[in-house]
Amino acid sequence: MIEALQAMGSVILDPYLVFLILVTTILGVIIGVLPGLGATTGAALLLPFTLTMEPVHAIAVLATIYVSATFAGSITAILINTPGTAAAAATTFDGYPLAQRGEAGRALGIAVVSSTIGGVFSVIVLCIAAPMLARVAYEFRPPEYFALALFGLSMLASISAGGTVRNLIGGTFGVWLATIGAEPTTGIERFMFGNYELYEGLSFVPVFIGLFAMSELLVQSKRVNQVVDAIGLKAVKLPSRDDYKRIWKTVVRSCGIGTFIGVLPAEGATIASMIGYAEARRWSKNKEEFGKGAIEGIAGAEAANNAATGGAMVPTMVLGIPGSGTTAVILVGLMVHGLRPGPYLFTEQVDKVYQIFGAMLLANLMFMVMGLYAAKLFARISLVPLQLLWPIVFALATIGAYALSSSLLDVWIALIFGVIGFLARRHGFAVAPIAVGLILGEMVETNFQNSLKMFDGEWWQILTQPLAALFLFFAVVGLFGAPIWSWISRRRS
Amino acid sequence: MPYLVIPGVITAFSLAVIWAALQLDLSPPMIVGDSLQPRVFPILLMVINLVLAALLAIQYRKKPPKKIERDGLHTWGTVALFVIFYPLTVYLDMLIAIAVVMFVMCLLWGERRIHVAGAVALVTPAAIFFLFDMVLRIRFPRGLLTNWYYQ
Repeated sequence: MIEALQAMGSVILDPYLVFLILVTTILGVIIGVLPGLGATTGAALLLPFTLTMEPVHAIAVLATIYVSATFAGSITAILINTPGTAAAAATTFDGYPLAQRGEAGRALGIAVVSSTIGGVFSVIVLCIAAPMLARVAYEFRPPEYFALALFGLSMLASISAGGTVRNLIGGTFGVWLATIGAEPTTGIERFMFGNYELYEGLSFVPVFIGLFAMSELLVQSKRVNQVVDAIGLKAVKLPSRDDYKRIWKTVVRSCGIGTFIGVLPAEGATIASMIGYAEARRWSKNKEEFGKGAIEGIAGAEAANNAATGGAMVPTMVLGIPGSGTTAVILVGLMVHGLRPGPYLFTEQVDKVYQIFGAMLLANLMFMVMGLYAAKLFARISLVPLQLLWPIVFALATIGAYALSSSLLDVWIALIFGVIGFLARRHGFAVAPIAVGLILGEMVETNFQNSLKMFDGEWWQILTQPLAALFLFFAVVGLFGAPIWSWISRRRS
Repeated sequence: MPYLVIPGVITAFSLAVIWAALQLDLSPPMIVGDSLQPRVFPILLMVINLVLAALLAIQYRKKPPKKIERDGLHTWGTVALFVIFYPLTVYLDMLIAIAVVMFVMCLLWGERRIHVAGAVALVTPAAIFFLFDMVLRIRFPRGLLTNWYYQ
């Protein structure tokens, strides 16, 4: 424990890392306030820029983008009724009405404080839960990993965007994408279409840049003529003692909700904030105020979405299963920088792990300072004309896609997946399930094949392994729990 | 039956993948052992996809999806720029291609100040190029400009 604290504290003693976190926090807040450019897109675009950095610095940069952009979405949600990130959508419900009443500073103050508490709480949970989970995960063999990956995929059924069936179709498509290239056991080429650059499979980075950045660019092209009404902001106000009295229970509850939702594979800050908001309303004595500027509504959503960031890092680092879209990018970052996600990370490179956690903690504190003192400035940035912003994103995305392997094929892959992602979103399919499927695809197939070898081809023996059976049970619950529950509720009513 | 379009596309895609998987080479039994032939896993996935496509068709029949607004010139023009980007990169230079696409995209999306669009289209790729070349030491594909620069 003391070693862990020392490693976390060493972040402050590394001036270059502190400088990087500061710059990235500013960048993250800018990314968060620019509508369309969320944490996932920002992390995907920045990943190639981290190539020459040390692993800890690189992952700290990506994690900082994650926490700061997740918070910053609330600035535009409150001031222009446009959530900078999907995770801040619930903040608009009460943030904007409160701002319209002339209390924009108070709304932002509540958002900043709640986000910081949520973020710090989740990092503390991350520090405690991740090594504990890692100790359990040492015992995992192929059947357990196979079942766990299936559980991760089954959770796609319940993520907020898209619908159950559409998300599962996206996930299956993603898993299929992971089969492109040489089959790991036999070396037989699959779906390479004669292109030997695909022998080792599709690179994650260009696919992610395409799915998140390029597709968002095409989505934004429809919004170029939109007019936004910005509400003026004098200064951000810290919550008063009365405000704290009203929101503290909500914040505590949302911290728990957000962290728990974050830990679940594939669930992220968006669903956490929605549940945090709904629970804040359910437990509030002033339900009628919700939707008209209730401060509990802002606190509930904001504490939950930032609490989900630390939670989502738990399965990402311990099990190699992304806890959200952005952690999927961070997972790729870990792989690119030679930090193999999994329980062994906690024995072989434990110092680096805690430095990353320390960086996340520092980022949470830095965005609080920026939120309190520079929100006015950042709010102005959100009004940058789209016709200038998105061509710049195009340049960053194409060069970023090229940079990882110096391959033009990766640029074409990013462009193709940009169009695929756009068409999918146009028809109501979310792109995050494709990304999660792509990451988990190899894990599912390889561990299934290895399990078959372990049990001499008798696949049902997987069910005789207690942990594997438990994960498969969770997977079934994840897939069918919600429809069965709603069917039972309908029958009752 | 417009509600069948999307499930139909997914079905066609799944069947195409199954067909392509059936064309894959078979691995000798002594290599495969107790595990699966390389074609089995993709076929299994696509069978799941076919079931999901059928479920989607049923869902859409009960509750048709929202009518999608037609995309305008901004969107399809941008997709066209993606397509044009390929020959420009291959036959001219990647940086020139990025600058041209950025410039046209600015104008296409409604920027009326040509000098601003021009400045953004010139400065951004140049800045990113120097950052990647000097700081990250990444060499860009050969083309008109890069040939001259790398000489």
